[in-house]
Amino acid sequence: MTDDTDTTDERTDGGETGIVPPDDETPAWSERKARKQGLSRLTYEYFERARREDQDLRQQSSYVERDVLGFPAWPHEMVRNLALTSFFVGMIIILSATLPPHIDAPANPSSTPEVILPDWYLYWSFGLLKLGFLNPELSLLGGEKLMTDRTYGVLANLVVVGIVAIVPFLNKGSARRPVEQPFWASVGVAGVVFSFTIAVLSIKNLVPIEEGLLNDLTFLLPIVAGFISYAVLKSMREGYMFNLNRRYYRLRPPK
Amino acid sequence: MSLERKDDHDHGAWLESRDDLSHIETAYLTVLMWLDKRLRIVDYLELLEDLYYKVNMQMPKSHTEQYGLDNKFWYWYPLYALGSFSTLAYVVAAISGALLGFYYTPGAGASETSSLAYQQIEFIMLELNFGYFLRSLHRWSAQVMVAAVFLHMLRVYFTGAYKEPRELNWLLGIVLISLTMVFGYTGYLLPWDQLAFWAGQIGVEMSLSIPLIGEWVAQLLFGGFTPNPATLQRMYILHVFFLPFIVTALIAIHIGIVWMQGIAEPH
Repeated sequence: MTDDTDTTDERTDGGETGIVPPDDETPAWSERKARKQGLSRLTYEYFERARREDQDLRQQSSYVERDVLGFPAWPHEMVRNLALTSFFVGMIIILSATLPPHIDAPANPSSTPEVILPDWYLYWSFGLLKLGFLNPELSLLGGEKLMTDRTYGVLANLVVVGIVAIVPFLNKGSARRPVEQPFWASVGVAGVVFSFTIAVLSIKNLVPIEEGLLNDLTFLLPIVAGFISYAVLKSMREGYMFNLNRRYYRLRPPK
Repeated sequence: MSLERKDDHDHGAWLESRDDLSHIETAYLTVLMWLDKRLRIVDYLELLEDLYYKVNMQMPKSHTEQYGLDNKFWYWYPLYALGSFSTLAYVVAAISGALLGFYYTPGAGASETSSLAYQQIEFIMLELNFGYFLRSLHRWSAQVMVAAVFLHMLRVYFTGAYKEPRELNWLLGIVLISLTMVFGYTGYLLPWDQLAFWAGQIGVEMSLSIPLIGEWVAQLLFGGFTPNPATLQRMYILHVFFLPFIVTALIAIHIGIVWMQGIAEPH
């Protein structure tokens, strides 16, 4: 009987789980990682460096370390979030109760409606599809266009999205506020104005402006708006600098 | 000698020996032990505990706290809530959309006057109790979501929040705003009214105008070279199956990255 109970270690069926609990001899995760070769070894080394860098930065930092974040999540932050959420959802509910959507006539392939418009948020894209007048005619090809107008329009959409996408890789540095970066802020203003003018272009058969003039305004208004905002932001920055300098020279008057 | 195996860790006896527990605590422990015996929850609880202590590590003061900018910052706060507003509107649209799905059928087959989809929309708008409200809620929350997403992008642009550690999230945001507009497009094709049909026509022409693969794309997305019943079916599956999964996952990643990197404050 006693022999039987002693040998239960080997008979895992119905006995213990057979899983060896970790002890001091068991290599830790980092130790197991450290023994690896090749790419995982490199990853381990980099992570160790990054961890050390973090620790050093934290020790050098003059930031005040504290036990909790400044504003308690419960109840303060949650009450604020709940209030904002219910206000916002209530706004949607009021809007939808008072302004139900319109239903159009059923689809009829044999009658094209006079006005075909997508929802408002696609107007800019719809306008870009109508940029055929900018599609260059190549004299080499005997005045023929390199690509059809509709291909040109789809390409214009891709170009606009692409330009927006590469902004972070063009505008670097630590400037954040528009006053600190008048150029990029005015590029943004020009972009916003362009999204409106191109939206107007998309409904050009409803706008009582001559077509050539409308085409020109579509591209001129954004540039004008960009220049104006550049001038405003530049002068605001000069104003800030003037105040700073005045304070500086009051403190340390020139000899 | 009993044949029953002896319980080394007799949690039941331990639970009975505890007479200081309330009914709620006893019930909780009983359920927890029952589940843990089967699913070994304790391992996962340890993971959660680990996570909890990692999340609650000491954090440096935020920029606004460090320089006492709260008094100058508060009136920009609504602009910093636009991202969560668009998420909220997305949730409202998801709920109302699921309810609309109970009543909508994507059928555009040949019929004398109007298609099945259009008749269902008429039913929802005119006969179903609060049906017009449901559709209205779905539509308005979609509109508000798109508006909030656009304004959110403008806020991020003008406060330079896309800069250094956050370029990837900016790119992810561009993907999300595009998918939001695709969501809207596939959505307004579903009633199969005049607007839907002719917007579908424009979509077909856009995909046909892509060089080389245009016809293939039109076949794949629209099921033909003019809007037809297959177009409605495909837009429906895109709208209620593909896009919800993709957009929800991307929103989760987008917000997760914001959580990891923190909100970029102007300075």
